[in-house]
Amino acid sequence: MALVYEFVWRVLHVVLQLQRAAVSWFQARAWKRTWLLWRRAAGAVLLPAALGLAAQRRMGAGAGRRPGRRCRLLADGKALEKLPLHVGLLVTEESEEEEAQFTDIANVVVWCMALGISYVSVYDNQGVFKRNNSRLMEEIAKQQKEHLGSESCKYSSEFLNNGMETQEQMSRCHTVVKVLSPDDGKLSIVQAAQQLCKAVEQKQSTSKDINVTVLDSLLRESKNIPDPELVLKFGPVESTLGFLPWHIRLTEFISLPSHKDVTYDDFLHTLQRYASCEQRLGK
Amino acid sequence: MSWIREGELSLLERLSANILKAGPMPKHVAFIMDGNRRYARKKHVERQKGHTQGFDKLAEALRWCLNLGIHEVTVYAFSIENFKRSKEEVNGLMELAKEKFLRLLDEQENLEKHGVCIRVLGDLTLLPEDLQHVIAKAVVSTRAHTKCFLNVCFAYTSRYEIANAVREMAWGAEQGLIKSSDVSEALLSQCLYTSNSPNPDLLIRTSGEVRLSDFLLWQTSHSCIVFQSVLWPEYSFWNLCEAVLQYQLNYRSIQKARELHKEAETAQQLESDRSCVAELLRQGRNGKPIDAHSRHSALLSYTAGREERVSRFLSALQQKRDNFFEQMSSLTAVA
Repeated sequence: MALVYEFVWRVLHVVLQLQRAAVSWFQARAWKRTWLLWRRAAGAVLLPAALGLAAQRRMGAGAGRRPGRRCRLLADGKALEKLPLHVGLLVTEESEEEEAQFTDIANVVVWCMALGISYVSVYDNQGVFKRNNSRLMEEIAKQQKEHLGSESCKYSSEFLNNGMETQEQMSRCHTVVKVLSPDDGKLSIVQAAQQLCKAVEQKQSTSKDINVTVLDSLLRESKNIPDPELVLKFGPVESTLGFLPWHIRLTEFISLPSHKDVTYDDFLHTLQRYASCEQRLGK
Repeated sequence: MSWIREGELSLLERLSANILKAGPMPKHVAFIMDGNRRYARKKHVERQKGHTQGFDKLAEALRWCLNLGIHEVTVYAFSIENFKRSKEEVNGLMELAKEKFLRLLDEQENLEKHGVCIRVLGDLTLLPEDLQHVIAKAVVSTRAHTKCFLNVCFAYTSRYEIANAVREMAWGAEQGLIKSSDVSEALLSQCLYTSNSPNPDLLIRTSGEVRLSDFLLWQTSHSCIVFQSVLWPEYSFWNLCEAVLQYQLNYRSIQKARELHKEAETAQQLESDRSCVAELLRQGRNGKPIDAHSRHSALLSYTAGREERVSRFLSALQQKRDNFFEQMSSLTAVA
């Protein structure tokens, strides 16, 4: 009997895996198509009004690609009811260190910048992004130029590497980009704990002085970033894989099937989902 | 309603359970049982009724877990943040807890039969005194059971737990049991309320919310996290099966991530021991060079010394915690 159960289990899992692959394949493609369909449908219903709009749009389109895109990004940012201050990008896919993934993640980072999000952190549990920090930076700068045109200098970024902060480009920065690895998670809590225990050992304070606020401010000092309100998780693994355990207390986790070829519409959709949910904070 | 609902699965459920069990099964499952109040609103019943139904569902879920061979369950019953709710609701919840823990004391026989050990994780001193006593009594009376474990997080938040663990380690340093350089990831884990449990393999949150709400942040770093949209009082056996399936689909990648993490942790410990030895040697020898062999033996003896310190400290800590519960429970006898 056990053999039969095992056989059924195996079949079930093959089916599920296939289904998962199919879903992510469709999601990558179907989104754009359905969006177009909806637009067309809406157009058909609101034909008279749409005519006027379409005329305007044609004129706008003539003015060049870049400003149009930039306007859209800014307008989208304003249209969202609430915008997270800090977005974490958590990549859970088995990653070979290939060019494409840096471009895809850089794209998302640049969209965040354009929407006016102040902090963006990029994390993977193998430390791929941390090891290739400069490569990601270059890619971000490149995408910035492409998406946001000549105004890109307005969105400069600051990168964190081994605790040393290096200022990239100009310092008039709006968005801080941090690349994180597992060492920024539990290890930094352990280091803070060591520091507090040392102070107690040297009779500078007592164990009774230690509480959540003390530990939190110590951790905040070392990282210098607010808690992320939103984490976009890319890839099929349903786990945080060690992403900043202390900081994700109230973080909303929203999954996307993959960071490969992720589209702006997918991205905007997750932010809309974030904007629509309400936190009760224990009440 | 008792703590573990008696009764068997239907034929179809049993069949599915057996199929699931052919794959890797989680040993420890954690639940955020969210949605009791929304359920009450939906059904137009009183809020308190929603909470009661939520508890009944827990009894049912524990039975399913046992049937699936899951022998450890951790649930988020009451957060420190929940004290912010209306006084009426908080009092209602405290009453419900007291009633259920009293009930548990009456059900000794049943719990003994299943070998259920109940632990309550959190800062009990934040609770009303009568409830503290009842809880302590329940914990002490089931302490010897080893077949399955139910951890109830009550007056708990994960940040509070971590800060408390740091406080305990600082206490150890104060008492001269450990040095501040002995503080490590492994030691911190051992000082958490959950020190006697393995980390959860699967965390389930119901009612469609997609956050951890300060629950087991440290322990679930490498757990499979499943968010389900069903409200907790409506949770079914099939929902649980779905979550287990998710766990199985993620099993290999998460296992790999765990191993990677384990390696990094070992490397960090070795690194820290090395630098401590180097510091000691530098002080002891006034800068004279030292050969590789004696450096190695110094490292070995330092590591052995550290391990001994840590284990002495941990048993002192366990003693302290056991004493707390024993004192609390014996107070009830007097009262």
